[in-house]
Amino acid sequence: MPELGTFALLLATVTAAWAALASYNGWRSASGSLVLSGERAMLATWGLVLGAALALESLIFADRFDLEYVASYSNRALPRMYKIAALWAGQAGSLLFWLLILCSYAALLIVLNRRRNRPLMPVVTTTLAVVALFFLLLVNFMARPFVGLTHPPADGQGMNPQLQNPFMAIHPPCLYLGYVGLTVPFAFAIAALATGRLSESWFRTTRRFTILSWFILGTGILLGGWWAYVELGWGGYWAWDPVENASLIPWLTATAFLHSVMIEERKKMLRVWNMTLVIVTFLLSLLGTFITRSGVISSVHSFTKSDIGPMFAGFLGLATLVSGALLVYRLPMLQSEHRLDSFVSRESSFLFNNLLLVGAAFAVLWGTLFPILSEAVRGVKITVGPPFFNEIMVPLALGLLTLAGICPIIAWRRASPERLLAKLRLPLGAMILLAAGLFAGGVRDPYALVSFSLCGFVAATTLLEFAAGTRARRSATGEAWGRAFVRLIDRNKRRFGGFIVHLAVVLILVGITGSSVFKQEQVATLKRGESFSIGRFTLTFDDMVSRDTANQEFLGARLLVASNGHPLGTLLPGQNFYKAGQNPSSEVDIRSTLSEDLYLIMTGFDPQAGATTVKAYLNPLVAWIWIGGAVLILGSWLAILPDLRERRLAAEARLRAVESYAQA
Amino acid sequence: MPAGRFTPKIWLAVAALVAGFVILFNVGLKGSMVYYLTVSEFLDENHRQKDLGEHFRVNGTTVPGSIERSPSGLGCRFRMTDGTKELAVKYDREIPDTFVDNSEVVVEGRLGTDGTFEARTLLAKCPSKYEASKRS
Repeated sequence: MPELGTFALLLATVTAAWAALASYNGWRSASGSLVLSGERAMLATWGLVLGAALALESLIFADRFDLEYVASYSNRALPRMYKIAALWAGQAGSLLFWLLILCSYAALLIVLNRRRNRPLMPVVTTTLAVVALFFLLLVNFMARPFVGLTHPPADGQGMNPQLQNPFMAIHPPCLYLGYVGLTVPFAFAIAALATGRLSESWFRTTRRFTILSWFILGTGILLGGWWAYVELGWGGYWAWDPVENASLIPWLTATAFLHSVMIEERKKMLRVWNMTLVIVTFLLSLLGTFITRSGVISSVHSFTKSDIGPMFAGFLGLATLVSGALLVYRLPMLQSEHRLDSFVSRESSFLFNNLLLVGAAFAVLWGTLFPILSEAVRGVKITVGPPFFNEIMVPLALGLLTLAGICPIIAWRRASPERLLAKLRLPLGAMILLAAGLFAGGVRDPYALVSFSLCGFVAATTLLEFAAGTRARRSATGEAWGRAFVRLIDRNKRRFGGFIVHLAVVLILVGITGSSVFKQEQVATLKRGESFSIGRFTLTFDDMVSRDTANQEFLGARLLVASNGHPLGTLLPGQNFYKAGQNPSSEVDIRSTLSEDLYLIMTGFDPQAGATTVKAYLNPLVAWIWIGGAVLILGSWLAILPDLRERRLAAEARLRAVESYAQA
Repeated sequence: MPAGRFTPKIWLAVAALVAGFVILFNVGLKGSMVYYLTVSEFLDENHRQKDLGEHFRVNGTTVPGSIERSPSGLGCRFRMTDGTKELAVKYDREIPDTFVDNSEVVVEGRLGTDGTFEARTLLAKCPSKYEASKRS
């Protein structure tokens, strides 16, 4: 079986190389049979990579500890679900998994575009095949998943207990689906540049892929935060860790792209900028994969010591060079057809939204790469901590929030300030009322006041759009309120899907603001019957609880929770001692409500003194982050589903193409 | 920069935004830069520049058998090494689960008067899971 896997990967290298060569030459010489051969070779590559991944998975299930990878990331007692997840637990396996997703996307694109986008497809296939080839070289020669061990152990080392969490099992696949999905718009952008078919809306074809990848990546980031929150036991969900940052950076640039592409679609403006964003997003997702897999930044060791570092740097450089050259070559064809007329217009609000998002991405990137950069320039590693990221991201996020509130009500092209002010009256009134209410309610922190008020402002303008649309539809068609509301969204899924995503972001920011500004923490060492309080809660140590199962031994402290004298039940924070591993893992217990989370960690138990030490956090509003995540998924799906307006736009584009052909 | 032809007013706003960003960026950067050193580099007086303040980030692995956890589970004392020199460390907050013998650790804090490193943060990685160093 391991030989089969190795062989499949070697063969896949050959087929991917053929796919790249045949597609490229087929495109250059306009040879249909070569193009077809290239696509078939890419499909074969997918089959071979799938075979290799299945081979590795079956070796993990067969407990073949004579393989280094299986021995390092699995053991006999590992539950089945985590044996599946062991595929992406280590570097070699996760690179193989990345490759599998890429090839699956490529196969899907080839099947979906048998008739559509024919002029672009050869270059799309070439691009995807070259990226696949790079990852194939990695798994064949640098990080090989099928390496044997000369002295196989009786049992494997097992998976890190912290990774044995359902969220952690689906978090990496989400990130990878997102990262890799961003290769699709990149491949189409390269194809558009190479073929010069820039007027054809290449981004319309990839819009769904882009939104899909964008929201899966976003979901992955949120799941990572959730995992950190429930599993890592430090009471927070985001630490500006390089690995977290690596996933946030391409998400920010992809967000910028999703906005600015609307300007290109409507106005044929910002075209160079959009191309640049797509290319940069792809490069950043490659960089993100590398940062995540190599641990190079958190390590004090030099960049060049990482075994896959030079290869990644080389490929990143190559991709930058090729796409940059193509972009410069096509600059004359990418001239804007319109100009940005007015400062007060939706176009300019999109422009500023883009500047803020790209600025945010740049700041996170700079802060993340700072150790490497400072080492290269000054010969000594310097890190920047969370304060840097917070200081920059908070103002930028507030600026973006303001724009998200103004953008939906500002007119395209040139908005009249009077009409804008008239439309702003209600949301601004709501915002001032909210701010006054919060102030009267005792909120004095300036950040919290500004952030909550702006959240209210955005929610108000967005909800008013729903209301105005429903009212207009009702008076035009005579439908009932409910029906008019549903039909309105159904007919404009893209627009209202986007608004729902905005509302989701508002919810997430409410959660982030509440949990970072009003967080409380308390530590106490308690004997049985003793209690301490945090916020409105009183916690009394009742007894120790121990449970013994096949895989692990649990020891926890049972605490009685009461609020203002009313008992609310018990919480049981503790520690798990995994029998396979040497280190215990904290099992936090959380009482989560819409208004706040009570988050308990048991740090230790001293049997002689009969005392346990408990650390408690009070995290207000944190649940809204996860609720916002669910709303985000809903809105994104809505925006992906086909809608009427989009079909009309596509039809118009076809009509224009036919007309220009007739004129020529 | 975004292509296209903008009115002077928009250019002005863009310039103001970029300027604001640059200022924010530099202020943020100045306040949070910390040297990241190995144990040997940190213990070498010539290497330990003080221009970024007293705080440092130091990387090494825990010396097996040196970890003394406090009974409450909060805080510990241990020694860390980079293979050549050793540094005693004191830490008084919650200990990450991954902190065991031979863990790769990163501590941030300052050198106390008694020569013990007083860490405010402690990051640790399981020895078996650290891939980048395994092959290097």
